[in-house]
Amino acid sequence: MKLIMDMRFAALNTRIRQCLVANPSACTGCRTCETVCSLIKTGRIFPERARLRIDRDPFEGRFVPQVCHQCSIPYCMNACPKEAIGISEKDGTVFIDRERCDGCALCREACPYGMIRIDDEQKRACKCDLCGGHPQCLKVCPMNALGIAFYKGREQP
Amino acid sequence: MTEKPGGWTGQMLRIDLTSRTTELIPTRPFSERFVGGLGIAAKIAWDEIKPDTGAFDPGNKLIFSTGPLTGTLTPGSGRMEILGKSPRTFPREVVTRSGMGGHWGAELKYAGYDAVILEGEAERPLYILLRRNGVIFSDASDLWGLDTFLTQKKLKEKHGARTQVICIGPAGENRSRVATIISETGFASGKSGFGGVMGAKKVKAIALQGEGVGLPVSHPGRLIRLASYYQDLLNKNPLREWTMGQPPSDSHFKFFNKYRTGNASCFGCPLQCFAFIRVPGTDPGQVHCVNYYYLKPASDYYGESLEADQALWEAVSLCNKLGLCTFEMIGITQWLRDLFSAGLVNDKDCGLPLSRYGSKDFIVELIQAISFRKGFGDILAEGAARAAKVLPNAWSFYEKYYPAHGQSEHDSVRDFPGIALLWALDSRDPMIDHHAYRHLSVTRQRWPEPHVLYPDKAQAIAEKVFGSQTTIDHRTYDKKPEAIAYCQNRSAVINSLVLCDWLYPIFVSQSREDRMGDTAAESKFLSAVTGIDFLEEELNEIGERIWNLQRALMVREGRTSQEDTIQDSYFSKDGIDRRDFEDAKRTYYKVRGWDEKTGIPTPETLIKLGLSEMVGKLNL
Repeated sequence: MKLIMDMRFAALNTRIRQCLVANPSACTGCRTCETVCSLIKTGRIFPERARLRIDRDPFEGRFVPQVCHQCSIPYCMNACPKEAIGISEKDGTVFIDRERCDGCALCREACPYGMIRIDDEQKRACKCDLCGGHPQCLKVCPMNALGIAFYKGREQP
Repeated sequence: MTEKPGGWTGQMLRIDLTSRTTELIPTRPFSERFVGGLGIAAKIAWDEIKPDTGAFDPGNKLIFSTGPLTGTLTPGSGRMEILGKSPRTFPREVVTRSGMGGHWGAELKYAGYDAVILEGEAERPLYILLRRNGVIFSDASDLWGLDTFLTQKKLKEKHGARTQVICIGPAGENRSRVATIISETGFASGKSGFGGVMGAKKVKAIALQGEGVGLPVSHPGRLIRLASYYQDLLNKNPLREWTMGQPPSDSHFKFFNKYRTGNASCFGCPLQCFAFIRVPGTDPGQVHCVNYYYLKPASDYYGESLEADQALWEAVSLCNKLGLCTFEMIGITQWLRDLFSAGLVNDKDCGLPLSRYGSKDFIVELIQAISFRKGFGDILAEGAARAAKVLPNAWSFYEKYYPAHGQSEHDSVRDFPGIALLWALDSRDPMIDHHAYRHLSVTRQRWPEPHVLYPDKAQAIAEKVFGSQTTIDHRTYDKKPEAIAYCQNRSAVINSLVLCDWLYPIFVSQSREDRMGDTAAESKFLSAVTGIDFLEEELNEIGERIWNLQRALMVREGRTSQEDTIQDSYFSKDGIDRRDFEDAKRTYYKVRGWDEKTGIPTPETLIKLGLSEMVGKLNL
């Protein structure tokens, strides 16, 4: 048990963390990011399964990209009964171990941003993994409304 | 080809409103010859809509059709085509098309359908909810009579914020011939009056949820690489800042610099040409070039003031809410002003404040009168063309603003010989589908620095695309028939894929030094998405087939060579020369392989293009 805990929190001791950031005032709600994300992650174009989401309010002209914040002490991780969610030592991204995940969806309920999806076919949780440090969504965003931020996370209490 | 090609969902949904039944039809038998979108819809119309069916008859069908590239990563793939018998076209109702941007088309594909065919007529008002697992018909008596914004808000509240809705307003419910179908605050299918057809079928809205199984793509990596490359090529277009097709005037600039809170866009578009406007005291919404129609009258009336801006914005927003076409308002307001100046109509008889042209009261009362068919508005709801036939002495005033097909002028028809020909040879306002050609030949050369396209560069592009510089020469009809045949073919393909004609064909690229675009873009995207290799030339041939199919539909409905023209008032010594025009028309028939006298596609041409089922059905 001790070993697993160490693995899961390993990244808390690394200094640099990274996550996607969004600029809602630049976003126009075209959803190119959702499209490319779903294409890379599911092999199909399927915006409902994208790892990020544009909350669109067309009547107020508000288009708000919702992205995974790669929290330093993730709600999803804490909620997982199978200890399938961990923080990558390499770059601090929060990842899901698909071998351990049983698709119970408690992490989905726990995430305050609604950033966890349950894969339809395989019944496993999935989330943004920053495409291994090179997110495609921000490359294709025509308005440059998405970016990547490097910051120092909160250290283990 | 054993593997299933990407891009298409593979099935179309037929909804019979009379019996409330649905049926799934495979797309494959249609897509091989007609690709999708306009092509497939036109083929269905040829098979199923009888020539003598009226637009408001239950026998008319409304086909909402997407193509293999709709909702893919291709830049500008947010559009769909709607086709059916149009109540708006003049002198007779004909089968024609109308595009629509937004998110609904893309979402339809994610829900698992390439197209939806509405047929029959519902007994009571209803709305349709499309899901992966099927169709739900719901009572719409509480929605009937509501404006389009409220209707959508209610449906989104009920079925989730990500539900996409197309709906009609009171204008459509009242079967106005100039009613639109609206999605969100300003994505509209306007020029063909299909809002009225939906109203006649008593369908208030079609809502859908794109939670299907996802859209297969044959070469995802290639598609992503292509999308990035073409985004760069298409970028740096000033439209996002101008949010309109022509360089904005000072008053335009003032207006949207003051009230723009951001931009809005169709699905997957890098251009994002809608401005989102918030004027104090009115509902916010999105705006595009055509919507500024009341800018000048309002500023003339009020001077530069908040009242003027509110009047302009009310003119836009109310049209979208009640589901009325702003294109029609461009023509109809000016026409009414002229009639009033000539003393042919007055405030008392019409019940409209015509003497206060430019005021907010005038436009609000006019839009409401037309939408609810109140008093004089009942005549105007038939469209200016039909109203001008009824009102005494009104026709000569009407002609000035309506070049053909009962549709108001969209850019100057006198500007350029090719544009006059395009108007004459189509079944509706053609400029909606031919922006790229107009930009190359007219508009871009008028843009200010640094966006201007210098004539030498335009000529080099014309040489490369059409094989001759003469194709963009304003003084002559020489080579215009060839150029417009090419552009019509390409636009037919673009409407079948379905892509946006603002972006494709890419004649001009703002981000390259020589401004040279890339006309092979569509074929590359289609190959990457479907996994079937298409060459640019093959697409041209498919386009020719679809254009001939459209022509066959027109001919079957009684279109004659004499009707391939524009209003008489456009011909004059310093305007369009009638003889040159007629000669160019004959050359066009020849280029098309149509009978030179009647303009009917010959059997040889039809067989060559793989349209043998039409042989013998067209009177020669």
